[in-house]
Amino acid sequence: MSTVSLAQFHQTFFDESHEGLDAMETALLALDGGGDKELVHGIFRAAHSIKGGAATFGFPDMAAFTHEAESLLDELRDGRRAIDAGIVELLLRSVDCLRGMFARAQSGQPLADAASEALRHELAAAVGRSLAPAAAPARRADDASTGWAISFRPHKGMLAGGNDPLRLLRELAELGELKAEAELDRLPGFEALDPSECHLGWRLELRGDVARAAVKGVFDWVEDECDLSIEPLPGAEVHNAHVPVAAAEPVAAQSSAPKAVPREAASAESGSVRVAIDKIDSLIDLVGELVITQSMLDTFREDFDASRLEMLQQGLAQLARHTRLLQESVMGIRMLPIASVFNRFPRMVRDLGQKLGKQVKLELVGEQTELDKTVLEKIGDPLVHLVRNAIDHGLETPDRRRAAGKGDVGTLRLEASHRNGSIVVEISDDGAGLNREAIVAKALQRGLIASGDGLTDDAVADLIFQPGFSTAAVTTDLSGRGVGMDVVRRNVVDLGGSIGIRSVAGKGSVFTITLPLTLAIIDGLTAVVGGEHYIVPLASIVETVQLRDQQLRTVTGGGELFHFRDAWLPVLRLQDAFGCGGGKRAIEQGLVIVVEGDGGRVGLFVDELIGQQQAVVKSLEANYRRVAGISGATILADGSVALIVDVAGLSRRMTRRRAA
Amino acid sequence: MGKAKTDKADGRVTLPADCRIADLPAVKDALRAALTAPAATLDGGAVERVDTAALQLLAVFRREAAARGVAVAWAGASAALHDGAARLGLVQTLELPAATPA
Repeated sequence: MSTVSLAQFHQTFFDESHEGLDAMETALLALDGGGDKELVHGIFRAAHSIKGGAATFGFPDMAAFTHEAESLLDELRDGRRAIDAGIVELLLRSVDCLRGMFARAQSGQPLADAASEALRHELAAAVGRSLAPAAAPARRADDASTGWAISFRPHKGMLAGGNDPLRLLRELAELGELKAEAELDRLPGFEALDPSECHLGWRLELRGDVARAAVKGVFDWVEDECDLSIEPLPGAEVHNAHVPVAAAEPVAAQSSAPKAVPREAASAESGSVRVAIDKIDSLIDLVGELVITQSMLDTFREDFDASRLEMLQQGLAQLARHTRLLQESVMGIRMLPIASVFNRFPRMVRDLGQKLGKQVKLELVGEQTELDKTVLEKIGDPLVHLVRNAIDHGLETPDRRRAAGKGDVGTLRLEASHRNGSIVVEISDDGAGLNREAIVAKALQRGLIASGDGLTDDAVADLIFQPGFSTAAVTTDLSGRGVGMDVVRRNVVDLGGSIGIRSVAGKGSVFTITLPLTLAIIDGLTAVVGGEHYIVPLASIVETVQLRDQQLRTVTGGGELFHFRDAWLPVLRLQDAFGCGGGKRAIEQGLVIVVEGDGGRVGLFVDELIGQQQAVVKSLEANYRRVAGISGATILADGSVALIVDVAGLSRRMTRRRAA
Repeated sequence: MGKAKTDKADGRVTLPADCRIADLPAVKDALRAALTAPAATLDGGAVERVDTAALQLLAVFRREAAARGVAVAWAGASAALHDGAARLGLVQTLELPAATPA
């Protein structure tokens, strides 16, 4: 008998539900600010879809939970209940709880936990219903099933209402092979027992080729009089005699511990991207063009003479253009709007503002700006950190704002945009700005600088990104600005980006993050070192200079320094760093590429520069192993391999060496 | 159709032929009396109809008896009683013997 595994649809269900939850959250937040009725409809629809999906795909706990939320939403929708802050709060917490359930579903854990059960009861109480204690812990249905695990808990009044579970179970037994395990945990003492009330519950296993509708049909009349969950038996076979069945367990044992869950190695990170259909269409168009060009070029194979040279050149130019467009389109598939990251902020800002007693207006600009999926996944945490810092330490409380002559409500602005082939994300606030004196004092105390005199504002601001800066206990008003800022910078730099800050005391701060469009292709400068080709990412290059010997200073310990724009920078000879001999030794003979990395600027000494090119990044780690100072490899036009210089890593190493 | 009866001397309870929710107050009284005897005997040989409420009452009774140290034995169990208990997964709890012909 062939069975269809529902598990193959789970990921789609998860993806769609996450979108639904995001939509719910956005609508709830809008509702909180006094939105209209249409929002409630939207929230209801989202909840309803999740409930339906959860029931279909065998997540009864989730379905039960959403059912309660839906009941509450139904009352809001009908106008039977007014929307107030308490309800919005409750529903927001429900959204969080559902997110937790999805996370557990994806890792194959039981969905319901104490917190979700408590919230479910709270939701039911909000619509004036009280629920029986939690149903038996659910198991996950991963696999094809030929039967159903049913948790059936009649409410007390079911017997008096004329419905006899015995009759229902007899009906079920007619559908297939039924095993019943009574749950006795709610039975009262003899004297306390009113014989007309039902205190029993059952865990049932119905084996056989039975439709869910048939099972559900049995319970149709008692739906409102019991807690019921029906889910596929995991991997059950009708004739499978050695499947341990519930009856083997001690009957009286209250089963609060979840049963062993059949688990498939579900990785939490989804390996899929949902792509807009127009992107696919444009890809197909381009491939069509490419095929036409190819067949056009094919004709030259048969008869070619010099008179047709011009046509050949045209064809090749066309091929080049289509290949470039195709490349852009394919890269575009990995591009997703930054909205998916921005969307988490309205909620966070609201919660934080409430907690800290600050009024914050959040402005989101450029949410449709697209970023590489990998970059997108990794930029979330740094952004959260910056936003949290901005609210916690940047924006002032209403009375302090009033004292400073500003409005009560602080503004936090997140803006994403394209700029010069990069993505720029700005996080700005109109708060107090950085406290120069406090930062200098702290930096002096931590030995990061020798003296605060003559430091430009930029240099002072830059101090907060220093690793040593953040390790101190949070004591001063400003310290929060430093907590983890080095981690933020490192994350951004690891993505091939950079971060800067502008701050005006009393007016606010602006953090600017610049990110590459994609990680898969970089623009780089090809340099030769000892006969080998290396690619230096263009994004990290400041300038290229040719030095004369007298510009070089040798310091104790063998380090070389040169003077560059009011600062002394260390020289790193790549031939030494990578151990490739035969390079040029005299500084006049080669070139110095000034690069900016994690720890600051460094001059990379190379033999010569060949030119600029786009490099398709191949992982060295995946194909060989991790090599210090190298971030990847690429294949050159002649088929040889060039290594890509890890500027951030090298400059970190230089800084450490200097510090040591 | 006999009502539930208790014989005080040996704590014997005879379950009625129609052992269902409507008649359970009487059965409960009979069972309560049996709990005061040193040992109780349940006779379910005559039971023709049984429902969840009745089986639940018997389950509660057995738990109470066990808690009080009152031994309970079955003098008989009809097929109807056995079938109902089996359907509800209560055979073990009730410690029912194999069904006796009605």
